[in-house]
Amino acid sequence: MDFRLIVALLLLAAAFPAGAQSPENDHTDQSTVLALENAWNQAVQQKAAAALDLLLANDLVYIEYDGTLMNKTEYLSSVKAQSYHATRIMNESISAHSFGEMVVVYGVYREIGTLSGGKPYLRRERFTDLWVRRKSAWVCVISQSTSIP
Amino acid sequence: MKFFLSAIMICGAFLLAYGQDDANSGAITKVLALEHAWNQAEKTKDTMALDALFDNLLVYVDYDGTLRTKAEFLAQVKSSDSQPQQEITESMNARAFKGSVVVTGIYVARGTDHGRPYVRRGRFIDTWIFEDQGWHCVASQATPILR
Repeated sequence: MDFRLIVALLLLAAAFPAGAQSPENDHTDQSTVLALENAWNQAVQQKAAAALDLLLANDLVYIEYDGTLMNKTEYLSSVKAQSYHATRIMNESISAHSFGEMVVVYGVYREIGTLSGGKPYLRRERFTDLWVRRKSAWVCVISQSTSIP
Repeated sequence: MKFFLSAIMICGAFLLAYGQDDANSGAITKVLALEHAWNQAEKTKDTMALDALFDNLLVYVDYDGTLRTKAEFLAQVKSSDSQPQQEITESMNARAFKGSVVVTGIYVARGTDHGRPYVRRGRFIDTWIFEDQGWHCVASQATPILR
């Protein structure tokens, strides 16, 4: 499953070549990035660090809902080492805006799962992700979440 | 001749890279100055100054996860319910991308909200883009530091 996810990500991330900015290109970029956001959720659910590695820039800045600041290595380690099991991760709402060579994604994220002791948990977060195109592929450079009730 | 052409190409690439670094450095300096202007304008409730700093499409996520448009954020700043007394940026880093600058940092805000004193410390990320001959913030989010 992990391998299939990686192949899908590779095809998706490089599917659309860079071109001059136009409303059509913006729309294509936004669709690609939104698909990558969904792939990100799947990869976290499956703890597929290799797939996440393709989605995230090496200079990623990640701010967790509790204010913890992580770089890419720390984030990938945290996903692999999670003491809880996410059974469902979904975006309640999501939208993307193109600003030149950058796509900004805003949304609300919901995660349902069980803690190591079997206790269920639910987390809702408002997030902002910034994606840039590098070597013909879209990668996330900044991600930030804030808890919401 | 081949050597001559290669030398020209290498020099050109170097000058281009140097020029880009210079442009990025200038953009970062300007945006960091605008961040300080934002703090000052919010403290003095100068909504006209804030209006000039924000893109009309601004998406603002407050420390408690509340989502605000530009108009909603300006109205909140103007409101007498909120009385900020101090806005300090503990640390601030800026990175330039093509046509945009992203600022990450830690802020401390002190003041009163509905008469109740507050002290808030959190991480923020502000995204600025260059448009209409100036830098404007298009996205801003705060996350309280709980750990």
